[in-house]
Amino acid sequence: MTNASQIPKGLTACPDCDLLLHTSDSDHRQEGHCPRCAATLWHASNPSADIDLAAAVSGLLLFIPAMSLPILKLDMVGQLGSNSLLGGVVRLWLENEHLLAVLILLCSLLAPLMHLLLTTMIGISIRLKRYPRYFPAWLKCKVWMQSWSMLEVYAMGIIVAYVKMMDPGEVSVASGTYCLVGLLLCIILCSQYFHEEQAWQYWEQRS
Amino acid sequence: MTVTAQQRGIARCTTCGKLSRITTTSQAQSWHCTRCAAPLSFRQPRSLQRSWAYTLAAAFLMIPANILPILTVISFGKGDPDTIMSGVVKLWQADLQAIAAIVFIASIAVPVIKLMIIIILILAVQLHLPLSKQQCTVLYRFIHFIGRWSMLDLFMISILVTLVHLGNIATVESGPAATAFAAVVVLTLFAANSFDPRLLWDLDND
Repeated sequence: MTNASQIPKGLTACPDCDLLLHTSDSDHRQEGHCPRCAATLWHASNPSADIDLAAAVSGLLLFIPAMSLPILKLDMVGQLGSNSLLGGVVRLWLENEHLLAVLILLCSLLAPLMHLLLTTMIGISIRLKRYPRYFPAWLKCKVWMQSWSMLEVYAMGIIVAYVKMMDPGEVSVASGTYCLVGLLLCIILCSQYFHEEQAWQYWEQRS
Repeated sequence: MTVTAQQRGIARCTTCGKLSRITTTSQAQSWHCTRCAAPLSFRQPRSLQRSWAYTLAAAFLMIPANILPILTVISFGKGDPDTIMSGVVKLWQADLQAIAAIVFIASIAVPVIKLMIIIILILAVQLHLPLSKQQCTVLYRFIHFIGRWSMLDLFMISILVTLVHLGNIATVESGPAATAFAAVVVLTLFAANSFDPRLLWDLDND
């Protein structure tokens, strides 16, 4: 294993087309785009924003009700049925759809939870200026979890299921949906306001 | 004259985005990022081979995913298995055109378009096709954006199997196509992730 040597500051390479660019510090106040392929090179830095941490904590508070409360209720000839996010995963597992159950568990439960949890941990450790050994692992894991978190697609799934069951029975939206909408807003805010490059820079300048 | 980072011997870390100077990427010596310790290379290693493997696997699994039943509605003891397409047709006939369109786009159009785009991108690199690099990069970003929406049908299944679990009156059961379709979605996500768009732009420098 060889550690690569450092290169001078002010150089940026485009992640999508590898174009090498010279940038100055003043450029970083606004969002930067690649002149050749228009990729986003960096996001505008806003050091005062605490929105990512606030959204992550609020998301965690909403998490348990969003996962366990009923999302939709169905009334068919006097028989009542309801579903929760967790219940859907358990039902699929019991029906021997293990692969599907694990995938849905990851995309709709585990990944959003870990995304919020890791954002909170990273946010707190940046504000306390204490960087544990696991900090890089947290950041890498957070990015991976964020890419697998698909609650917005799940929300669309609720709409499709609602419309599909409107005809044979009486469907109604239950409390879990409201929690899920709140959770979704928190996740979107959390992803929008988290500044990854800044977190890496804090880690680099930790000592 | 545009200069790429590779021409200057600089590699961008795909994990944390830090630039580092490395000499050559050989088997004997592997480079690691000084900031996040991830392995460094100029381009994603074996990008095209891995993209091909995932794409072909996904293309083959499209067949069982579309032929086998994905959802069975059992109402008063009578089973009615649905494939992805027949589900869309039923929604359309029930005058739910908007929802039918959403399900069609998410479950049929998106996986097919995604596979076609990935194949076009790989072929553009391998056969040096004279395509616009800008447009290819737009296509690459497009498949990254839409890929996750194919999960819609799977989430809907997990909602329906619990919601409609009413004993003799009605139950919904998932079918064998669900697993195949889940595999298609995951494999196309992997295929899109393993394609390195910088290979397209490298064609200009040869």
